[in-house]
Amino acid sequence: MDMLTLSHVSKSFGSKKIIDDLSFTVPEHCVYGFIGQNGAGKTTTMKMILGLLQTDSGTIKVNGETVRYGQNRTNRYMGYLPDVPEFYGYMTPSEYLRLCGEITGMSSAGIRKKSDELLHLVGLDKENKRIHGFSRGMKQRLGIAQALLNEPKLLICDEPTSALDPLGRKEILDILLSVKDHTTVVFSTHILSDVERICDEIALLHNGRTALKGTLEEIKSRRKGNGFDIEFYTPQDADAFAASMSGSERISAVRLFFPGKDEKDMTHAMKILADNALCVQKVEMREATLENLFMEVIGI
Amino acid sequence: MRQLTAFTKKELRESLRTGRMPLLVILSVLFGIMNPLVAKLTPWMMENFAGSLEESGMVLTEIKVDVFTSWTQFYKNTPIYLIVFIVIASGILTTEYQKGTLIIILTKGMNRWKLILSKAFSALLLWTVCYWISFGITYAYNMYFWDNSMASHIFFGAFCLYMTGLWLITLIMLMSSLCSTNYMVLAGTGGVFFVFYLLAWIPDMKKYIPTQLMSSYSLLPQAADVSDFMCAVVITGVLSVVNLLLSILIFNKKLL
Repeated sequence: MDMLTLSHVSKSFGSKKIIDDLSFTVPEHCVYGFIGQNGAGKTTTMKMILGLLQTDSGTIKVNGETVRYGQNRTNRYMGYLPDVPEFYGYMTPSEYLRLCGEITGMSSAGIRKKSDELLHLVGLDKENKRIHGFSRGMKQRLGIAQALLNEPKLLICDEPTSALDPLGRKEILDILLSVKDHTTVVFSTHILSDVERICDEIALLHNGRTALKGTLEEIKSRRKGNGFDIEFYTPQDADAFAASMSGSERISAVRLFFPGKDEKDMTHAMKILADNALCVQKVEMREATLENLFMEVIGI
Repeated sequence: MRQLTAFTKKELRESLRTGRMPLLVILSVLFGIMNPLVAKLTPWMMENFAGSLEESGMVLTEIKVDVFTSWTQFYKNTPIYLIVFIVIASGILTTEYQKGTLIIILTKGMNRWKLILSKAFSALLLWTVCYWISFGITYAYNMYFWDNSMASHIFFGAFCLYMTGLWLITLIMLMSSLCSTNYMVLAGTGGVFFVFYLLAWIPDMKKYIPTQLMSSYSLLPQAADVSDFMCAVVITGVLSVVNLLLSILIFNKKLL
């Protein structure tokens, strides 16, 4: 079942079209990476999903229910972690979670049980001081705790790791992975290594549309046959080989690149190498990394 | 109902922990004491000044201080307290907009109209408590030093002034749903107050205008009658409800 569906959603600010006919679906129990440059419209999209921003056209459905701007009935299925979560500084974490729980309509005992559990999960169970003394990472972790409080079916995180140090990032990603069994996670980011680490599916947002979408493997395999590199010991060997196999690009004195060639071409090349008794340092297939896909799509 | 109580509790906790509530309560106590005190000290002060006043050619006759002197002080000083209250309360929504603290609350499923009502309720509650503390203290001192029974309509007169505060607080709510900084909120509230104040200069309009309630002192020495203020009280009440309804409607569509 699809937890989140966007169909033909558009949004402009003034004359600037931020989201242009955007459609994608997020299946249940999946970690969905929403990738894009700064300013690509990731936060805008998320705010529309949360009913905090009005769409110009198109519909958004969460758990089968249509999202309506200003009214947040669909929000009971969702937990949201803003990019910079802001709390009431004069409260302690457990007081804040109690407030959130009461607003969501949880029972008093339920709030106590769940907040203890979540504060332990995010490592804030020993923090009894007020939130105004918290570091960025601590606030981010409290943000996750509040987002998970009502056991949401859909967890939306807006760049949860962007402002954190490597350790903080790892902690947040581990938490997101650990909740995957109970909840569907949509998270936006521009840190591609985070995506490769935890995402099942991705959508790459560019110019207000999804330039790429699908599972990580699908996308990578679609871009297979990127070509291969051969590195020789001497420039002479490289010259000789370039003469006997066409379609090469000279990367450096000893390195040749064969763009657009696949596995079959590679075995052919190895046959030529063997026939001519040319020794090489390495022969390597170029794998599509998310990074070069990203660069390719946004046209750098 | 649970959202209303939870958020009202949060509002009260906020005003307590940020020091807003203690400050306003302390001020209301001070204002309450100041009214009879100034009245009581007037003859003594005048005596001290008598020498220098005589030099400039003014001769003081005996100064009579009674319960009216103290109530006059109450009606003069309370508007100052009201201004302080309004300035402090003006950030009720705008500080949340600027910090972005409402985002999480709303995504937790908080109904927007309940948010507005809880905020309005806690501000009105604070005003009610502070105002009647100040009134109660003045009343008690007046009873002790003089005789409250000499003045008529003490409670209705005080209620009129209280209503002005109520109306201004709902106006703060309305302005807060329209504007995003508290300077704008203050300017808007001040602007509306000023327009009404000007309207009150038109003799036919006078008895319908909320700002008119601030001159309810005239009830005490029986210079005015309850019926002179009745219209304004009703209209102020209606306007306050309208302010709240409008702020809910506007806040429902507000971009945060």
